[in-house]
Amino acid sequence: MDFGRSSRKDPYIPTSSMGDIAFLLLIFFIVTVVFTDESGLVVTLPRADAGEEGMRDMISNVFINSAGMISIDDVIVTAPDVVAIMAQKMTENPFMIVAFKTDKQTPYGVVSDVMESLKEANAIKVFFNTDMEIPGQEF
Amino acid sequence: MGVLDKRKKKRDPGEIPMASTSDVAFLLLIFFIVMPMKSDEIGLSLVLPGKETKENTVKVKQSNVATIKISYNNAITFDKQTVSLGQLEQAIRDRLLANSKTVIILETHPDADYGMMVACLDEIKLSEARKVSLKTTKI
Repeated sequence: MDFGRSSRKDPYIPTSSMGDIAFLLLIFFIVTVVFTDESGLVVTLPRADAGEEGMRDMISNVFINSAGMISIDDVIVTAPDVVAIMAQKMTENPFMIVAFKTDKQTPYGVVSDVMESLKEANAIKVFFNTDMEIPGQEF
Repeated sequence: MGVLDKRKKKRDPGEIPMASTSDVAFLLLIFFIVMPMKSDEIGLSLVLPGKETKENTVKVKQSNVATIKISYNNAITFDKQTVSLGQLEQAIRDRLLANSKTVIILETHPDADYGMMVACLDEIKLSEARKVSLKTTKI
């Protein structure tokens, strides 16, 4: 009797179910992914060096084009309307950040009026969206 | 006869190759995992002071205040001295070195371009100034 010498099979990881797992994960990610359907206004963002990444889930966009038109959730609004809209959004998400997607040639007065409305609505976290600075290009 | 024999031959039923299905699933999986990570939200964040009340109003010594003014024609002055956008960062750094308690006030004319305000805010962020206040020139 030579028990010690019995031939052992090499251990292996079964990979036959890998495709099934991949499909399950794929279905999960397809179902959970959120596509933003807000088209907003056409704007040319200003450029900045010190830009940092914003938390997309927390952001509520305010589009302002060079003509001073304000768009929130694809609805054209006026600066005083922003108070009620943002107050409503703040009750839904108290950690909301308001992102200004504003054209670089917009008169600052329009942005200032919207910021005053945001203060009224207690939406005090703001984010000025920018493009990355391109080396060698002047502002 | 020979031609008829050939027609009677059984044809091999076509098969769709399934071997690479899991590879395709993995590629799609990677796409759906990576896509939400891609953040197109880059910008400058700021916290507004909120509604003006007695509690959140802070008095600052005039000697601790440095004012950057942007006029209606986008000309910049730093403590009443005309500076270019390129000189602004160093000017703020020098001021902070002389007095670390300096509060930077960015005062913008309502007719000035929003892009210029963001460019100045960018320089302020680059100079690592922590205390920043936005103000709109009253007209």
